[in-house]
Amino acid sequence: MFSKILIANRGEIALRIIRTCKELGISTVAVYSEADKDSLHVTFADEAVCIGPPFGKDSYLKIPAIISAAQVTGADAIHPGYGFLAENANFSEICQESNLKFIGPSPDMIRAMGDKAFAKDTMKNNEVPVIPGSDGIIENLDEAKSLANEIGYPVIIKASAGGGGKGMRIVWEESEFQKAFQTAQAEAEAAFANGAVYIEKFIENPRHIEIQIMGDQHGNVYHYGERDCSIQRRHQKLIEESPSPAVDEDLRSQMGEAAIKGAKSVNYEGAGTIEFLLDKHKNFYFMEMNTRIQVEHPVTELVYDVDLVRQQVLVAAGEKIEAKPKKPHGHAIEFRINAEDPQNNFRPSPGKITSLHFPGGFGVRNDSHIYQSYSIPPYYDSLVAKLIVWGKNRENAIMRGKRALNEFIVEGIKTTIPFHLKVLEDSRFRSGNFDTSFLEKF
Amino acid sequence: MDLDLIKKLVKIVDSSGVTDIEIEENGLKVKIAKKIRNTQVLSQPPVTVATAQPAIQPTSAGQQEQVKAKEEVEQAPSNMHEIRSPIVGTFYRAPAPDADSYVQVGSVVSPGSVLCIVEAMKLMNEIESDISGKIVKILVENGKPVEYNQPLFLIELS
Repeated sequence: MFSKILIANRGEIALRIIRTCKELGISTVAVYSEADKDSLHVTFADEAVCIGPPFGKDSYLKIPAIISAAQVTGADAIHPGYGFLAENANFSEICQESNLKFIGPSPDMIRAMGDKAFAKDTMKNNEVPVIPGSDGIIENLDEAKSLANEIGYPVIIKASAGGGGKGMRIVWEESEFQKAFQTAQAEAEAAFANGAVYIEKFIENPRHIEIQIMGDQHGNVYHYGERDCSIQRRHQKLIEESPSPAVDEDLRSQMGEAAIKGAKSVNYEGAGTIEFLLDKHKNFYFMEMNTRIQVEHPVTELVYDVDLVRQQVLVAAGEKIEAKPKKPHGHAIEFRINAEDPQNNFRPSPGKITSLHFPGGFGVRNDSHIYQSYSIPPYYDSLVAKLIVWGKNRENAIMRGKRALNEFIVEGIKTTIPFHLKVLEDSRFRSGNFDTSFLEKF
Repeated sequence: MDLDLIKKLVKIVDSSGVTDIEIEENGLKVKIAKKIRNTQVLSQPPVTVATAQPAIQPTSAGQQEQVKAKEEVEQAPSNMHEIRSPIVGTFYRAPAPDADSYVQVGSVVSPGSVLCIVEAMKLMNEIESDISGKIVKILVENGKPVEYNQPLFLIELS
């Protein structure tokens, strides 16, 4: 087992990792930028090293500074958290070369899953359903048309070199195909100087369902059910829950097995999440794999009674996964509390917290690094707290969520607490019948 | 020039980053200046100063040492200049274990003079002075770890 772990992150996740390390009797080293010298993770850790000025690229993303900090403190492992260097294959590799255990997958695994085309191929070869589409770029109109017919409408034509909606066309029926295809190519050529396009089945208003998996160095891979993360604003998750109202035991089993197959095929080690799109016919399609612990991991922890960060550390130290998945118990919902003003287009609201009271009581968990009189630095993301509630069923969890959000007092900054309360009142949310288009219509 | 105006000027200097104001009116000249208690020369790029953390220490123990080091740093007069570490690493006084130290207390240095080595990831980084002056104090022990922006040397400007 490790004797000292350096946490290469900040904010609530750094605190989360430090807490588990303390419970395992492992010493902790916090790294911090100058903007974070008053941060809670610095105080909670056994040792702290200042690694640079405020901007991420000069501190939390600065590999030499982090490796050096690990060396001077004698750490034997590094936990990268999420974001920053968590999915940086180079960082994983440099840790290896510096004799530091990276708590996460190997550089090869990160590279494999980071390459979207390769990841899709790997899943396909392991009978994991993927979004049907062309094998790469398609140039010939007739070929494209017959492929579209094969896939089944609606299809989406996407620019290979592109993004931002340019060179993208949704086609609902065969008669529109030719025009859409040619226009998409022309647009892509104009926007990216590359008219290459590919085709995929268009999944209308999907639900975002992800499966939590964990693999150890002994070849064991388990899944801990699903999380429904369909409540998103501009592709940023705001509310997550487990189990998903759209997934029954059968579907869970199918998706879980598919996820395990995919992970086993790359000998996956550590915590990972496989993201799927679920269409209205309950067909699921592989989207991508995240090779790290995720922000919303607590909902899984509460429903499956597992400390996922603890499993990460054990697995990295060469031990077998100690918490085999049990049957899901109850329902958990996480509300991401951001320092943003929901009344003004979610404009960031950094500043000093003048008054703070966390909610408490049965079934309430707070993962947060803020404290009264803390000043939120403007250099990093706006997540200031995760409020997670557990209830014996979804209705109970919603009630508890409402109760807890109403108790949550934060003054001095604006937060998304009022926004979450509004969502909980919404009949579509309460019914469980929503998809990723929910917030657009909200 | 009335007393109220002078009071207002004092307030401005006191509560802002302005260090001195000089006003002349009807043949009467008033100058109000703030005494600089930190050790940064004003031409340095702005860096948070007074809370410079000394060497990595257990955050619960070692409180007293930290406070003492802070006081020493804050009371240095304004012709003193701190050389701070630009990287995280291990501080060495000499290029090799058996070699002579680069500088001693009393050494005279100029821009470009190598003061020490901070070793990071097996690379020896030479830290140079950016000013002319005399080494007054060496703030870190040989072989000890240093963090980003940690003060290493106190140099009296010439």
